[in-house]
Amino acid sequence: MTTTVTAPDAAVTPAAAPGGPRARAVLALALFEARDLLQQIVVLVFFTVYTVAVVRQMISGHLGWHELTGREGMAGYPALQDADRETQTSAVLLGVALFLCANRAALRSRRQDTDRHFGTLAMDPWRRTLGHALSVVPFALFSGLIVAVRFGWAALRPGAVGHGSVFELAVSPLTVLLCGVAGVLLARLVPSAFAAPLLAVTSYVVVLDSLVFADSHWTQWLSPVVAESGGDPLPSDLIGRPAAWHALYLTGLIALLLCAALLRSGGRTARIKAATALALAATAAGIAGQSPGPSAALQAARAQVSEHPESVERCAVRGATTYCALPEWTGRTADWAEAVERVRSLAPGAAAARPLTVRQRVEARYGLEGDPSYDPLTAPGVVTVGTRWGGNRVPEFSTGLASTLVAGDEKAGGEVCDGRVVAVMWLALGAADDPLGQLRAVRLDDSTEGGSYVLTPTSGLLMSAGQTKVVAELLHRPRAEVTARVKARWTELTRPGVSTARAAELLGVAATGLGAEGGNSCSE
Amino acid sequence: MLRVTVGGDAGRGAALRALAGAVWRVLPWRALAAAGGAGAAMAAGTRLPGQQPDALIGLLVLRLAALAGGLGLAFLFDDPARHTTETVPVRRPVRAGLRLALVAPLAAGWWAAVLFLVPAAARPPAGAVTLEAAAIGAGAVALAAASVRLRSEPGPGAGAALALLALAVAALLLPSRWDLLAPPGDPDWGQAHRRWAALLCWAAVLCAACLPQPLRRRRPALRTRRPPDPDAPAPLHGT
Amino acid sequence: MTVTVSASGLTLRYGGTVALDDVALRLEEGITGLLGPNGAGKTTLLRVLATAVPADRGAFTVLGHDPGTAAGRLAVRRTLGYLPQNPGFHPDFTAFAFVDYVAILKELTDRAARHREVRRVLAEVDLADVRGRRIKRLSGGMRQRVALAAALVGDPRFLVLDEPTAGLDPEQRMRFRELITRTGEGRTVLLSTHQTEDVAMLCHRVIVMAGGHVRFEGTPAELTARAAGRVWSSAERDPGARAGWRTGAGAFRNVGDPPEGADLLEPTLEDGYLLTLDDTGAQAVTR
Repeated sequence: MTTTVTAPDAAVTPAAAPGGPRARAVLALALFEARDLLQQIVVLVFFTVYTVAVVRQMISGHLGWHELTGREGMAGYPALQDADRETQTSAVLLGVALFLCANRAALRSRRQDTDRHFGTLAMDPWRRTLGHALSVVPFALFSGLIVAVRFGWAALRPGAVGHGSVFELAVSPLTVLLCGVAGVLLARLVPSAFAAPLLAVTSYVVVLDSLVFADSHWTQWLSPVVAESGGDPLPSDLIGRPAAWHALYLTGLIALLLCAALLRSGGRTARIKAATALALAATAAGIAGQSPGPSAALQAARAQVSEHPESVERCAVRGATTYCALPEWTGRTADWAEAVERVRSLAPGAAAARPLTVRQRVEARYGLEGDPSYDPLTAPGVVTVGTRWGGNRVPEFSTGLASTLVAGDEKAGGEVCDGRVVAVMWLALGAADDPLGQLRAVRLDDSTEGGSYVLTPTSGLLMSAGQTKVVAELLHRPRAEVTARVKARWTELTRPGVSTARAAELLGVAATGLGAEGGNSCSE
Repeated sequence: MLRVTVGGDAGRGAALRALAGAVWRVLPWRALAAAGGAGAAMAAGTRLPGQQPDALIGLLVLRLAALAGGLGLAFLFDDPARHTTETVPVRRPVRAGLRLALVAPLAAGWWAAVLFLVPAAARPPAGAVTLEAAAIGAGAVALAAASVRLRSEPGPGAGAALALLALAVAALLLPSRWDLLAPPGDPDWGQAHRRWAALLCWAAVLCAACLPQPLRRRRPALRTRRPPDPDAPAPLHGT
Repeated sequence: MTVTVSASGLTLRYGGTVALDDVALRLEEGITGLLGPNGAGKTTLLRVLATAVPADRGAFTVLGHDPGTAAGRLAVRRTLGYLPQNPGFHPDFTAFAFVDYVAILKELTDRAARHREVRRVLAEVDLADVRGRRIKRLSGGMRQRVALAAALVGDPRFLVLDEPTAGLDPEQRMRFRELITRTGEGRTVLLSTHQTEDVAMLCHRVIVMAGGHVRFEGTPAELTARAAGRVWSSAERDPGARAGWRTGAGAFRNVGDPPEGADLLEPTLEDGYLLTLDDTGAQAVTR
């Protein structure tokens, strides 16, 4: 033996008094285990995928995983009361990884037969369990950081509206923590390697069961992440999600699972028992609080805003247009005005100066998941704008606006099928930066040829193959030339009943192959 | 006196039969039973009163049941006595193949039961989902075989199960051009199942490639930076 | 010398088997060897003294702490280093990480001091060079030393070592003896072993157990003295001997009650041990 005996460090004397130093030992264990978790390949992979996915969602504005390319364009105009919720689903990914790996870590000393030795060390088994559970906390904090960055990114966009909820933002870290603690508890209940993967799959089915199969509000909210999406953004006060109760429920549940794991590992101290009771109460209170569906008052308020938005809206006049926006959306008036002025700039004097009202509408009666549809308005010169903006929503709004400008009101605008479609589409898209791209965006089948349905905020309108051909041809030509012709022939172009062939002729486009009806879409 | 039978098909058959009995007893029954039970329970869940599963839910449940079954199969090659059994004359592919052969009929029967547990109205095309289930099961076995080959540890199951689960999650994230999880009636359904078939083939190839016990150890040049061990690693107790 | 560990009336049953039967012992500073055949109750006694299992009856104290109470048991564990028989390892941990892990479980909270201590014990067991290597890449002897380092970390006053030299080659065993002698200075070490040479070379006291009872407690010299005049040499195996075997020189070495005029030999500790077992009715070893 070549080494010399060195005296042990004076500072290594074990923690003497219970309380502080023993808690620090648990923290040291948690730190060690957290570092070990980070070296698990499953955690590492999911961790990376989670981060990359969130960054990609931030940039593209897509919520799904599948669209690797393309941009929805709405990411620049987030509604923060939705953006907070959108952070939640991806956290499940990290949660699953931590469930599996925390479970594996908690079973390590049993699997590798070090329990016999570790059982004689100063740290009690329940403190070791606590250390394993706490090792998930850094990952929860990381997911909280990701959520904060993502939400902050959305909130800092100039086009952002509305208010987020801190309780919604807390769901991601809480879910990660819940999964990890559940993994540790499972290790203490069923000490075998195959329990965790199987339970992960089974609980996926159970969660699906409560989300997909079940209709009842209260079972749906037992799932850690309740991602209601699909509808248009609602004003924050109409969201009606029991987010605070849900956060309480999750916190209580985490504490409850943790206490169960501690009790199971022999931590039968009075403090743990008291904490169990408290956790049980918190969980129960959370469930009780989140279970009731939307209240009658909320439903009345939703109906009121859906049916009579004017009762809550604030209006601002810019030029010949009045912009009526829901209180949280007043900041978007400038964006709308820009689109309105772009359309007006292509119309001749009288039409360009025609008074219009842009009315914001939202369908709140069917909650957050209903795919809303809006009936066209019949009041003259009133145009609908939704609560979404950016991307395709802009040319859709422009088309609705142009059809109202041409036909007088929104309902009549949606029924335009004759040669006036050419004028409508020119007004809507002629002044855009990429008119053909916008034409593709605004059509249901993303085409620039053949007949198709054109989306507007309300009912939309039909374009025949002939009309498409004429419009595409116009959009190819120099803007100034076409604008001058449109302004000069405005009266005839917008006369009800004018044929597409005639419109093409007036605008100097070759009108061949427009068919028997002169290329109109009225019978399609 | 006990003699090792060499040569002669009859003798080999008898040896195999004797081995089959022993292998049958050491199969990881708890994992297989838990996985089978979980899968069957999922499928049976669709028959609970108040459930009206549609084809999409039926497919989802069957896929998850297949995944549960796969998690059970991942433990197929678990052998606590591996350090002892590695050196017996019966080759590893024979022992592993015997395990597979013993479990395969059970797995097939189990899958048929799971299929019939899902109400006919919600049952997707049986051939297609069976292909998916076969690919998942083969993938699980291949992962376990790869783990045995690479690490030669007594319990490759836990790692293989984790890897299978990670791959399943990865399948959820696949971009649409490589999508495996086509919903019923999707135009991509046929294409997706060609991908499943390819996956099944790859899994079978991987499994076949990993089963034989290597005759010599390949030491890639990369590993030479570590100084040679003064004494070779010994097997751990109780791993 | 002061008594550091004293036990009385320790009794433990596993089902119908009596593993410990009314065991009493006193340990002092220094190394005490624990000898006994398989199934004698050695490991059980060590597990009881290491607070891994409580005894059914009886009591013991370690450095004045009574492990019968929660606070007492914690106090005992804080002074204890335990090397179990066939210690488990976490093969994916490095030697440093494993000992650090044990140090955390021994509640050494100050990170920098703990790491210094881990490095110190790893150097003490001669593993400083391989502390960054994963345990699965270490040889059996190195692993045994990792386990000893894990027992030594935190400078325990009471060391319980269960067959620490099992599975080691002669050279490794020599190194181990050196190491254990060093660690025995100023500590109480209880060392269970099958190797009588270990006891002869290391221990200042020895306890022989059989059938759950303590059969002998004293110094190695006293144990050896039990065989004085009871070991003899003969050309053929003596039928009257309790045990006998042919030595490398060709003559038989017999242990038992010698015939008149026998060619008496110098007894060893092993002879004393064998005779102690035999006198108490335990299974005699015939080689």
